[in-house]
Amino acid sequence: MIHMQIRKAVITAAGRNQRNLPMQTLFDQQGVERSVLSLVVREAVRAGITDVCIVVWPGDEEPYARLLADDGARLTFVVQQEARGYAHAVFSSRSFVKDEPFLHFVGDHIYVGQEASGSAKGLVEAAAAEGCAISAVQVTRESLLPFYGTVGGQPVTGKPGLYRVETVREKPTPTEAEQDLIVPGLRSGQYLCFYGMHVLTPAIFAILSEMLIAATAGRVTLSAALAVLAERQQYLAMIQTGQRFDVGVKYGLFTAQLALALSGQDRDNVLTHLVNVLAAREMPVKGEGA
Amino acid sequence: MSGLWKIITAADPQIRNRSLDDSCRNATTEQLLDEAAELERLRHSSENLYERVRALFFLYAIHRFHLPARDDAIATGKALIPFHGYEQLLSRRYEEAIGIFLAAQEGEGPSDGISSALAAAYRGLAFQTLADQVRRSVRSVRGNQWMFRTGHPADYALRIRPELLMRGNGDPFPILCEATPVRMDLSHSGWSDIFFLGMDLPEMARVLNVSIDLAIHEANAAGPKPPVETYLRVVDRPVIRLVSVDLDATAEIGDLQELFDFGRDYLGLLKAALIASGIVPPGMEGSGQPLTAVLAQLMGREGLGIEIVSHVNNIPKGSRLAVSTTLLASLISVLMRATGQARSLTGPLAEAERRVVAARAILGEWLGGSGGGWQDSGGVWPGIKLIEGVRAAEGDPEFGISRGRLLPNHRILTETEVSAETRRRLQESLVLVHGGMAQDVGPILEMVAERYLLRSDAEWAARQTACKILDEIIADLHMGEVRAIGGATQRNFDGPIQTIIPWASNLYTETLIRKVRAEFGDAFWGFWMLGGMSGGGMGFIFDPKRKPEAQQRLGDLMREVSGKLAGGVAFAMKPVVYDFSINERGTFAELKLGADAILPDDYYNTVLPAMLRKDQRLLSECERGDLERFSSLSHDAPGARERARGFLDRLLPHGNRDEEQAETLDSVLARNGFDPVQHERIQAELRAGHIGVAQNRLPASVQIEDVAAEQLFDARREVDTKFTKMGEEALAAGTVAVVTWSGGAGSRWTHGAGVVKALSPFCRLAGTHRTFLEVHLAKSRRAGKRFGCEVPHAITTSYLTHGPIEEVLQREGAYGYTGPLYLSAGQSVGLRLIPTVRDLRFAWEDTPQQLLDAQAQKVRESVRAALIAWARQAGEANSYTDNLPLQCLHPVGHWYEIPNLFRSGVLAAMLEARPQLRTLMVHNVDTVGVNVDPGILGWHIARKATMTAEVVTRRIEDRGGGLASVDGRVRLVEGLALPSEEIEFSLSYYNSNTFWIDIDALLKVFGLSRRDLRNEEKLAVAMRTMAARMPTYITLKDVKKRWGKGQEDIYPVAQFEKLWGDMTALPQIACEYVIVPRARGQQLKEPAQLDGWLRDGSAEYVTGLCEFAD
Repeated sequence: MIHMQIRKAVITAAGRNQRNLPMQTLFDQQGVERSVLSLVVREAVRAGITDVCIVVWPGDEEPYARLLADDGARLTFVVQQEARGYAHAVFSSRSFVKDEPFLHFVGDHIYVGQEASGSAKGLVEAAAAEGCAISAVQVTRESLLPFYGTVGGQPVTGKPGLYRVETVREKPTPTEAEQDLIVPGLRSGQYLCFYGMHVLTPAIFAILSEMLIAATAGRVTLSAALAVLAERQQYLAMIQTGQRFDVGVKYGLFTAQLALALSGQDRDNVLTHLVNVLAAREMPVKGEGA
Repeated sequence: MSGLWKIITAADPQIRNRSLDDSCRNATTEQLLDEAAELERLRHSSENLYERVRALFFLYAIHRFHLPARDDAIATGKALIPFHGYEQLLSRRYEEAIGIFLAAQEGEGPSDGISSALAAAYRGLAFQTLADQVRRSVRSVRGNQWMFRTGHPADYALRIRPELLMRGNGDPFPILCEATPVRMDLSHSGWSDIFFLGMDLPEMARVLNVSIDLAIHEANAAGPKPPVETYLRVVDRPVIRLVSVDLDATAEIGDLQELFDFGRDYLGLLKAALIASGIVPPGMEGSGQPLTAVLAQLMGREGLGIEIVSHVNNIPKGSRLAVSTTLLASLISVLMRATGQARSLTGPLAEAERRVVAARAILGEWLGGSGGGWQDSGGVWPGIKLIEGVRAAEGDPEFGISRGRLLPNHRILTETEVSAETRRRLQESLVLVHGGMAQDVGPILEMVAERYLLRSDAEWAARQTACKILDEIIADLHMGEVRAIGGATQRNFDGPIQTIIPWASNLYTETLIRKVRAEFGDAFWGFWMLGGMSGGGMGFIFDPKRKPEAQQRLGDLMREVSGKLAGGVAFAMKPVVYDFSINERGTFAELKLGADAILPDDYYNTVLPAMLRKDQRLLSECERGDLERFSSLSHDAPGARERARGFLDRLLPHGNRDEEQAETLDSVLARNGFDPVQHERIQAELRAGHIGVAQNRLPASVQIEDVAAEQLFDARREVDTKFTKMGEEALAAGTVAVVTWSGGAGSRWTHGAGVVKALSPFCRLAGTHRTFLEVHLAKSRRAGKRFGCEVPHAITTSYLTHGPIEEVLQREGAYGYTGPLYLSAGQSVGLRLIPTVRDLRFAWEDTPQQLLDAQAQKVRESVRAALIAWARQAGEANSYTDNLPLQCLHPVGHWYEIPNLFRSGVLAAMLEARPQLRTLMVHNVDTVGVNVDPGILGWHIARKATMTAEVVTRRIEDRGGGLASVDGRVRLVEGLALPSEEIEFSLSYYNSNTFWIDIDALLKVFGLSRRDLRNEEKLAVAMRTMAARMPTYITLKDVKKRWGKGQEDIYPVAQFEKLWGDMTALPQIACEYVIVPRARGQQLKEPAQLDGWLRDGSAEYVTGLCEFAD
């Protein structure tokens, strides 16, 4: 059995225009107020990660470090020197990762899973057991394809929820998806789209390096690099049933807070508040409403 | 740019068809490594399937054949194979394995071991890439695509035809019956129908294929009929019931996932047909949906299911008539008709429907893990047809990826092209037989793809000739020249077929052809190889006047020749002669209604016994109906008496009369030198936990390290003339004898068929097929002549091999060997033991095991719990006697073969005949390249060694220990004794199991002298004392116990073995080690090694050492 140990994580912090997002605060399931970044780091720590690298813009190290004083992981900040996009941000962490596999997710998403131990833990365990790169995916309707990287592949026999990835496409059209991304076992018009959480092997850096050189000043996508990874190594996808929330979109922070609260110890309290708000809301007169 | 990459990508066929061997012949090691690096880089950059695959085969061949052939850095390179890379290789993660091996080569320099690992990985990846492409093409064939999109019962679109649901009051559901002929091929133009050839070289992919009906000659009065029959009917329970009448297997499937588990039972083919026909679309795999929901959609209501029955009449495995693909196609046809995917419910199929059936049969083969060529579903079409590859055009899913389409075109030859008269005459001339051999044709098909991509000049020319022969046969068919057809098929077999793949022929076939020609002379018009290789299904074309006589004689000849060869060749069945006729309607269906809705008798024999054991109140209406109908068939219908008797035979247990006449276990034990004292000691030690599966291993505290080359004598280089001279003098003085260990059955050689490996005619050397034994004797003959003194040669045997070896040596006149020849009969045999619970648990729980899916895992666990209870109840470490005597015995390992030489009196006889004898060279029967090399012998004598062991540098396939420094002492270590598998990969040298032994020094170690060799009692004590000092390896082995008719259970039993290599651990033995060239030390463990062995120059090397009698 090929087994690997995953003890490092790479978190890419927000894009240049959303640098305050990771500093926003929310109440976690236990009702403790934390920054978005702290919640993300804790997700990694719950998965057994001991060393976390945060890829930031120049000058962001200090404010971020202040947010993360007591989250139980050794922190390293790596500065992304050029504005060449998300995949380049991941590439910037190569000196931290060296030749180990690593957990990766973005710093402006909150993951709310059914498991108390977090979504990342299951992913890390699966990667360790299978000894290869693995991405969390969700079953997604065709209409949402323009928003996500999507994988095509085959179920792994005897391991429900695991798929051997053969193809990866960034935001495919439905036509492309129908030709290359159909996965046995899903309903028509459903595909496996990235959940924003991956365990990657260091081979990804060699691929990104080749692609970044080839693209000179342009951007490359992580999906394109993962498509090459699938050709070179065993690469799996694992279905996640949890939810993730992009705090950078309109009401994103609010929805994330709601999801956290409704899955935590203050659930009843929050529900009561919600009902009160709904009950107290002025009802439109019949016929006048939208 | 790389010269090799230019060949691969050239548009000009002159360059593209250039062979790799030509380009590499004069290249230096450095140039080869540079080319390999360039190919490795460029293969990643190409989108084209053909370019990538050919580059992979080039890389494989460079590392397998060209680099190891250089006597420089590669041969002496020290880089070891990284264990981590080996693990990746085992998991079929080839790209990662290649990365790891290349990194090791980069870091530590090239070596023979790394090249062997890279060759294995490149070859594996090449075939994986090809298989992936076939799979992708199969999915994208029009008509198949929807099945991959359907993943949920709500999207399910098939409905059962209403005719199959309609029945009168009290009547059974109608039965749809499909009868399909098998195909035989007049020529496959050099296996041009394998998928990759068809897709890469469509213009040369051409097969002439005939649909035929069969009957066993003189056994079936009704005459030939379609050999494959499949049935479908509705049943009144929401399950899918699968019944294979010929395999005597049934399954009732209520869970969707179970359908996708092909390895679970013998019904994989039926499951594959259900999936490939879309009844349960492949898109449903892993969906977690209930099967009942799918069936409810299919049937239009709840509570109903279907039953599929397959029945193959009298054609065994290995018939070369594509029975499994025909069965798959037949099942797919019946399922497509039943669900309206074919327009006609009964009668023949339309051309478009046949093409869909063929495409889905390919899909089914891919699902079920079998694989033939695209001509194999030819039986679906009627009569004689020409099947040809087609160039991929715009709009085809293959366009831009491969030159040809996956699916060929079938053109049925009309009566204008081949007249009815010619067809009749062909039938009157051809004798169709099954020779009885059942070989695996898979490796042959892999070799064809490999050779095609490497393009040797001879292979390429042969392919062109094969195409011309096909044209010739078409012309002969047109002219009605059956005699000329015989000439063409014979030339095809003698020429192109064997040039491309020498292994397509064998000693059995050639002997038959020779004898037939001798008997029938001019009336024998030619031999015709069917399918992938000869030995199974074959054709012999005769003058029609003599066909009846030829049918009779061929049966006798096949029985006679197979009887003589049976010791060394695996025959799966008795040879059979067929009657056949050309089937002119292809696959054909009928609907059986009302009282006629009856299945074949064997169906009821298979299914009813289980039904009778059930509580009758729980039977469904359909099941009760089956019982009633069978009851009435057993009373009133024709053949009622035989039917009833056959059924009772199945139902009631009956003793085996043959068994009573057989030898008793006690007499077999006594005859084979069973040692009860040792047996009891082993039982006691096993019970006490002193020995056991876990105890085989050396303690983890023992330090096991690699041995440096400087500590060994390197015989790969030029040996000092003073040693050579010493050895030559010893040989001339007659002081050396050869001992060939021939006690093993070579279970890996024949996958457990239990033939004598020493007698296997494994390869054609110097123009004739030779057995292992003949090769060894030919080397001794040559040595005798060269040194002017005959070499005594002893062959050690065991209870499994003694009789057959003795018989063959007698019959063949010892292969013309005139030197002193001895047969040392095995004096040791073990009696198997009930395993201990401790060992069972260790084997099942503490060693890595392949995990099954949840359901199968549950089944496995419950079986294991039952077996543990059985071991307790039967008594741990008690003798295992509850089976046929030979099933209770086991061989005890080659350690015993030397002491047996003492006890059998053979060594005494050798010394009496030649008192100057001092040295024995002992070797395995499959180490064909070993000989009495004077240089090594001289060194052995000069070192005054008790024993000198030969080793080779490790290649990836060399598993099972090696040379190591164990706590400071250099010795051979068995794989079973290594604390972990990883350690083996840190050892540079592998034991080739050849030993040079100083007779007197060894006797002394046993506490004996030459005088004691006639003292039986002293010998027995000495042997027992020494045996007690040798480690006893306990292994678990599965033993089948058969009962009733065709029922069998499998029990794990414990057995032990002792191995000669462990003698090197004894402190009083002065042991030396010598590194020998690969061609000398290579052991041939599996037939799959043969092709590489033939091509890398080893066969030529061995031929050079031999002097055959003919």
